Amino acid sequence: MAERVNWVPEGIDTGRPSAARLYDYLLGGGHNFAADRALAEKFLQAQPNARAIARLNRAFLRRAVLFMIDSGIRQFLDLGSGIPTVGNVHEIAQKADPEAHVVYVDFEEVAVAHSQLILEHDPRATIIQEDMTRPEAVLQAARHSGLIDFSQPVGVLTAGVFHFVPPQADPNAIVAAYRDAVPSGSYLAVSQFTHDLQPEEMAGIVEVMKKSQNPMYPRTRSEIEALFAGFELVEPGIVPTPLWRPELTNTDDPDKAGIYAAVGKKL
Amino acid sequence: MELPELAARWMHALTSTAYIPLSHAEIEQALLDSLRELRESPESVAHRLVSLHATGPDSLHATIEVLSPTFELPVLARLSSAYAQAMRMDAFDQQEQIKVAIVRAKQRVERTLKVSQARFQEVFASAALGIVITDLTGRCVEANDTLAEIVGLGSGFDLTNRDLRDFYHPEDLAALGSSYRKLSEGHLERFRDQRKLIRADGEPVWVHLVVSVLRDADGRPTHHVTMVEDISELHLLQRNLDHQLLHDSLTGLSNRQHFISQVERQLDGKPITLYHLGLDAFSVVNNGLGHETGDKLLKIVANRLGRLAAEKKAVLARIGGDEFALMTVADNVTSTVEEIQDALNEPTFVDDHGIALSASIGVVDRPPAFATAAELMRCANAALRQAKARGKRQWALHDPHDDARRRGKYALAASMPGAWEHGEIEIVYAPVHDLETREVLGAVARLHWDDLSHNDTMALADSTGLSLPIGRWLLREACAQAARWVEEFGDGAPTLHVALGALQSRDEDLVADVKRALDETGLPPERLRIALDISSVLAGDDNALVLHDSGIVTALDGFRGGHDELAVLTEVPVRSVITRAPAPSPDSPLHQAMRALIATVHGFGVRFGVDEVHTLTDAEHWRQAGADGVIGLLPALSAAEVTELLTTVASPPPGAS
Repeated sequence: MAERVNWVPEGIDTGRPSAARLYDYLLGGGHNFAADRALAEKFLQAQPNARAIARLNRAFLRRAVLFMIDSGIRQFLDLGSGIPTVGNVHEIAQKADPEAHVVYVDFEEVAVAHSQLILEHDPRATIIQEDMTRPEAVLQAARHSGLIDFSQPVGVLTAGVFHFVPPQADPNAIVAAYRDAVPSGSYLAVSQFTHDLQPEEMAGIVEVMKKSQNPMYPRTRSEIEALFAGFELVEPGIVPTPLWRPELTNTDDPDKAGIYAAVGKKL
Repeated sequence: MELPELAARWMHALTSTAYIPLSHAEIEQALLDSLRELRESPESVAHRLVSLHATGPDSLHATIEVLSPTFELPVLARLSSAYAQAMRMDAFDQQEQIKVAIVRAKQRVERTLKVSQARFQEVFASAALGIVITDLTGRCVEANDTLAEIVGLGSGFDLTNRDLRDFYHPEDLAALGSSYRKLSEGHLERFRDQRKLIRADGEPVWVHLVVSVLRDADGRPTHHVTMVEDISELHLLQRNLDHQLLHDSLTGLSNRQHFISQVERQLDGKPITLYHLGLDAFSVVNNGLGHETGDKLLKIVANRLGRLAAEKKAVLARIGGDEFALMTVADNVTSTVEEIQDALNEPTFVDDHGIALSASIGVVDRPPAFATAAELMRCANAALRQAKARGKRQWALHDPHDDARRRGKYALAASMPGAWEHGEIEIVYAPVHDLETREVLGAVARLHWDDLSHNDTMALADSTGLSLPIGRWLLREACAQAARWVEEFGDGAPTLHVALGALQSRDEDLVADVKRALDETGLPPERLRIALDISSVLAGDDNALVLHDSGIVTALDGFRGGHDELAVLTEVPVRSVITRAPAPSPDSPLHQAMRALIATVHGFGVRFGVDEVHTLTDAEHWRQAGADGVIGLLPALSAAEVTELLTTVASPPPGAS
């Protein structure tokens, strides 16, 4: 399956699809390779609404960031940020307030290199190459970056990330570690695939992703609720992405959104 | 249709085909601007759409659908064409971007690799461990200078292409070869070993080896990594430490632990004889002439015994402060003991002090094979104690029967404190009879515990350190009881005799204890007779004298009729002596001698009493020999029984009739 693109330097295996580049492709981006697109086609077969799901998830991220900005948050920790694609957090946040600080966290080499390119000339944003399931290491690097003041509220973003964290990695404990590192008044945004909506299509996606580098673990509403221990969910609670504080009247079918979204405020 | 309405419709159509990271109002404004310039410049509108990221697969289709009723085909055709071109350029841009990202990522990987290679080179070159990478045949591919140094070569390059096996000791080759094979066959991940390498100059060097396997990308073993730690210095240090642990630092002889292990090793072989030597009066040297002199003396002894041991091919050790042990293959004990004493007997001068040396020796000869070394050491020690008890320059052979007896006694002694605490040791009263009048002169307060006699109990108490507290308890309790009898029966009450153990007899506080007992119980002093162990008086203790001066009548217990004892009687004012001996029957030659002895005692104004006389016949024999009183004719009674007896018989018991 490894159709090697001729302009890709040797040493980078483009034969292995990555979830980040798959997401980019579904969003209409060009930062992807044949293997990613091949996986995306299978993904689309299992869930024909995948492009809308990606779009709605990305739109939720934007609204969540803007909601946090409105709530006074000026520093963001974007966990599992992936490759920069349309509507990055620092662009959204800094458009609202140029002083906003953003720390991206991702582990994948290309995503990190790409992020560095984009952020080269932005002193208020950076990327940390670290596994977001290792909160201690992430937090240490975030402190070291000097961009996040942990005595002030932080917006912790996990958009479309936790469905790549297996149950045995204990997502609740991971969230708890970040929660404990930020002061009360901080916010947590979560969006994650669920089998509560369209269980058949969801099962198809899980099957497709099983063979990839990034197998997926959809969660139920109550499992997602458990991630918010120590947080108070803001209105409207845990809902399909298009129903989370839509800008105008929503025209997308929430039952086909695939992903639950929620934002909580640390008590 | 008005342009703003069209812009709103266009916005709704577009936002469901692509994610545009702007608010609806912003998007609508951008689209309204586009509508206004569309006719003049469809190309710039196309560029705006792409830069807005209205680039979903259906975005163009949705756009044409919304705009076609209002705009003419040529305008829409130019828009479509420009949109396709902008998309192409955008895709190139994005691909260019990610290419740069990939190049950077790869550069970083390479940099990391370079850094880690540099780190590896640094570790390899500067490690205190010798490191060599060999191919699977054992040929050295790369070795560091440290390894070269260990095997006595100039640099790591000198090892390249050499066979590592050339440096292993021939005896180790088979074992090591098999370990290396196990690695390359995947049975082991790594192994550790301690082996000898042979240096280039032929000298052996002790090393720790840690060997692991290197694999290629497919996991096939390609090389071995052997890390080599030179432990020869450590090895020497370890041996030195072992020596220190097993040898006495003063004399350089084996210590007790080492000796025991040597005995253990010998036990399975030929029969052995064990000599446990205790220097006589060494503490006198140490205390009188100082420890330095003592140490010098010990070295001299170690030297002399060492020569003897070498001659006899014996094992010698210093197993205690002034104690040595010698193990020989079973030999003539008497002559070996003589040789030991002769060796020690040579005139010895330390710091101008002439010192006479001798040893007491406990011997265990040809012990059974099943005996343990520790047991033998204990037996030899027991025999040494016996020899010491006999005086200087004595030796004793270990007697297993005696040992068993002694051990029984020790077990009993161990249980004594508990027994006392639980009230199992009681005080009984044995009548003292006057042989002439046959009257009861008084009652001897005695300890009674199980089947043990008073003297055995006291001796046990002595060995446990309990004799003083028990003795004091006995003294006080008996005085209290005697005082009650005096109160109740007046002159009919028996005079109290208390026989003290050896330790209590010598105790500095004895006089105070006795006075306190009298004061606290109200017993009149003339109603009390204290029998001191004669050894205390012989040792020069003045308790007898002080008691006498305090108006307390004393006796000396354990009298055997020796000259020294008789001499004491001329100096110490005592009322009587008490002895234990077979009754001298009138027809035995002893009778006369005993009569003479008793007459002598009487000559000093001292009465003669006999303990443990159990039959009337014996009592009569003693009477004929001249003795004054006996103990033991009637069994000892408890205090209550005595009281009962005193009550029923208004007069003293009828005695020996």
